[in-house]
Amino acid sequence: MNPTAEPVTIALASIPNSGKTTLFNLLTGSSQSTGNWPGVSVEQKSGIFSLGEYIVTLIDLPGTYALSPVTEEEQVVRDYLLNSPPNIILNVLDAGNLQRGLGLTLQMAASALPMVVAVNMIDETRRRGITLDLKALALHLGVPVIELSAKTGEGLPDLKEALYEIIKHPEKTRIPHISCPPLLEKAFFQITEAIGKSSIDTRLDHTFLAMRMLEAENQNQWTSNEKVAALTKKWQRRLKQSLQTSFPVVCAGCRFNAARGLAMEVLGEQPIIEDKLNSRLDHIFLHRFFGLPIFIMLMFLLFQGVYGLGAPLQEILSVAFDRAGSWLFSQFMVLSLPAGLQSFLFDGIWQGIAVVTSFLPIIALFFFFMSLIEDSGYMARVAFLMDRLMHRLGLDGKAFISILLGYGCNVPAVMGTRVMSNSYSRILTMLLIPFTLCTARLQIFVFLTAIFFTSAIAPWIILSLYGCSFVAVILSGFVLKLFHIGGTPEPFIMEIPPYRFPTLRSVGLRSWYEMKDFLSRAAPLIIAGVLIVWLLIHMPTNVPPASAATWAGQLGQILAPVFQPLGIGWQETIALIFGFIAKEIVVGSLAVIYGGTDLAGLMSSHITQMQSISFMIFCLLYTPCVATIAAIWSESRSLRITLISLVSGLAIAWLASFIFYQSGLLFGFN
Amino acid sequence: MTSAQHIPVSALLAQSECIIRSLGSDDKTAQRLAQMGILPGTHLRIIRVAPLGGTIEVNDGQGQSFALRQQEVAAMNCEPVAMPLISELVAKGRTYMIRDLRGGKTFQQRMAAAGLQEEGLIQIREAGVRPIQIRLVDTDRQVSLGQGEAKKIIVEVINHESNS
Ligand SMILES: Nc1nc2c(ncn2[C@@H]2O[C@H](COP(=O)(O)OP(=O)(O)OP(=O)(O)O)[C@@H](O)[C@H]2O)c(=O)[nH]1
Ligand SMILES: [Mg+2]
Repeated sequence: MNPTAEPVTIALASIPNSGKTTLFNLLTGSSQSTGNWPGVSVEQKSGIFSLGEYIVTLIDLPGTYALSPVTEEEQVVRDYLLNSPPNIILNVLDAGNLQRGLGLTLQMAASALPMVVAVNMIDETRRRGITLDLKALALHLGVPVIELSAKTGEGLPDLKEALYEIIKHPEKTRIPHISCPPLLEKAFFQITEAIGKSSIDTRLDHTFLAMRMLEAENQNQWTSNEKVAALTKKWQRRLKQSLQTSFPVVCAGCRFNAARGLAMEVLGEQPIIEDKLNSRLDHIFLHRFFGLPIFIMLMFLLFQGVYGLGAPLQEILSVAFDRAGSWLFSQFMVLSLPAGLQSFLFDGIWQGIAVVTSFLPIIALFFFFMSLIEDSGYMARVAFLMDRLMHRLGLDGKAFISILLGYGCNVPAVMGTRVMSNSYSRILTMLLIPFTLCTARLQIFVFLTAIFFTSAIAPWIILSLYGCSFVAVILSGFVLKLFHIGGTPEPFIMEIPPYRFPTLRSVGLRSWYEMKDFLSRAAPLIIAGVLIVWLLIHMPTNVPPASAATWAGQLGQILAPVFQPLGIGWQETIALIFGFIAKEIVVGSLAVIYGGTDLAGLMSSHITQMQSISFMIFCLLYTPCVATIAAIWSESRSLRITLISLVSGLAIAWLASFIFYQSGLLFGFN
Repeated sequence: MTSAQHIPVSALLAQSECIIRSLGSDDKTAQRLAQMGILPGTHLRIIRVAPLGGTIEVNDGQGQSFALRQQEVAAMNCEPVAMPLISELVAKGRTYMIRDLRGGKTFQQRMAAAGLQEEGLIQIREAGVRPIQIRLVDTDRQVSLGQGEAKKIIVEVINHESNS
């Protein structure tokens, strides 16, 4: 390997669903890292692979239809290309959807950055008997065009060779000529000239820059040159007055005229044949009467698949952790440590690690099944089926699955919002999931209703709590929509991809990376949260843990006036503080706080039925657990959103309990 | 037919087809459509309406399906060019060409016996009555069709100029 070789960056860019991520996985194998693009909750994936003597950093850009941004994803891609142009653009085209993909190809070719075009899904077109004249495409575009199947790996050596060649001899892409109305040409010309005279230093073609500036509201992020900015503004006003439609729409028209011509060159006279199998499947899955029942059945299977398989695995892990813990902490070396330190290690750190680990099985299963649904193409059908319902809440149809799975566990559900293609829906869904009644909360409710109510009434209480959760989700949806918390909604125009067989490799990889990601991004926060609660409960050291004299107990008493109108005493307030770690430990903590052996007896003598319901309502609506908060933080990368979630949960929980308890008292219950 | 050719939302039956004349006034939607290559001149065929309504699946003539909301389609100017015979867009007095008889063998035979065939010309004799009374232009025969039959007959508008 040649150590003097410059680092090379290649960016994968294409319209959604053309196989970028599949190709990314194929090229980079296990060297991936994910994060978020700065400032937005759009996933950023990068990985490294070697090509001859070069070390290449590959970036998987979000799918975009154009560089004239409508969505946050498109803005990310445009800003990336403009602010830190990669050495090479690797453009992926779906061979079965050429014309649409070529629209973006032409727009990117105008940047003059070196480019390689990979025509992907060649296995599918071959199966359908379509032949492609890729020589013609290469000739017209003036860039290497490679046939590829990212699924089977066919064509990969050719692609690598083409990339290697272009790294070695980088060649500016020839700018495709796209004819535009004369007025636009004039605008481009003048601004390009001004850019040329200014001292802008860029590898991008100046006309390309001029077009991007004309689309943008604010040119200052690319040029500090007043003349260029003023000229652009002048032309924007002129174009607005004289064009009937907006500037990007006119440009898209010109681009797609050229794209249509190109696609015709490649496809020749071949008629467009509908995929029979595909339309038959849609006839079943989107059927007017059977579509929804099938969907409900599949959702039931999904829920069972994730939690039915996940819960026993969690159980096994937790038992293993307990055993390992008690073994570890009975060792002589540990026993010789001071008691406080022992507790810190065991109830703090060890407990924190146990909480983190307990999520791993469901996260793996969750993403396994999610990828199946997504890769098979059914996710787009779900969005279609549920759009009407979810649109009322200002949400994407896909949000339905995330919210539904929140009823099992909030953590993977929040992570699963990543499958949604726009950040508005993503943020909104993330904020709604914490109001779902997860199984950990259910444990509390089952335990408490059994203490306070007869077995005839208890199920109804639990059912009402489910109702309460639905209402909370729906009402919060309306409120959040009203306040535009997640930004502005985006138009709903969704491509429905053909059904495809998911590969075990991609589904497995996805689960694996999501687990890794969870460990690196959310786990530290979870452990920190557990430690903070440990401190609250164990400090100062000279009093019994979780008693009234500890920090938690004092906090409980300070908060007493706040919780008193809800009928929640300081003991339960401490339990609520415990509940931040995980709802599973609320019941256990009550036992510690009350300190007796007969918890049921002690509680029912302390607390009335009304008060117990009020407590349960609070448990239902406030922060689900530190892991959910950590997941929201790592998905949104926004302190604002995380705080909104935290505060709104507490506020709504308080309000709901207050209204319930006070109106109950008013009607003479107690 | 109204002079503004906005499709009434209720008329968007499956198998209707329209040509986009303009993308509508919402800039964001128009831009999104344009960037996907759905531009004035594009033919949209309605594949189905979602079970809960409100959302429709359309095909853009490139073999690619999209989901859109009815309000988005209603906002753009999409001129109907083909529709099932039961559509309320089928107007009395205009001449239509049969584009497609979408049914099984017995249906095809029944239609053939009645004198209906693909590319044949028909007119509606009376709007809004059931069964539907049509006149076969070529043979000047009169046929009455049930709702179920009319649903499977896709007709095409043959004169594009508006006749208001
Ligand atoms: N048959 C076939 N399917 C493929 C091929 N490459 C990708 N796919 C499938 O196409 C679908 C989309 O692939 P992705 O890699 O997720 O596409 P993407 O471009 O990353 O999509 P976005 O991230 O949404 O922009 C998946 O179901 C893949 O399994 C291929 O070469 N052949
Ligand atoms: Mg991707």
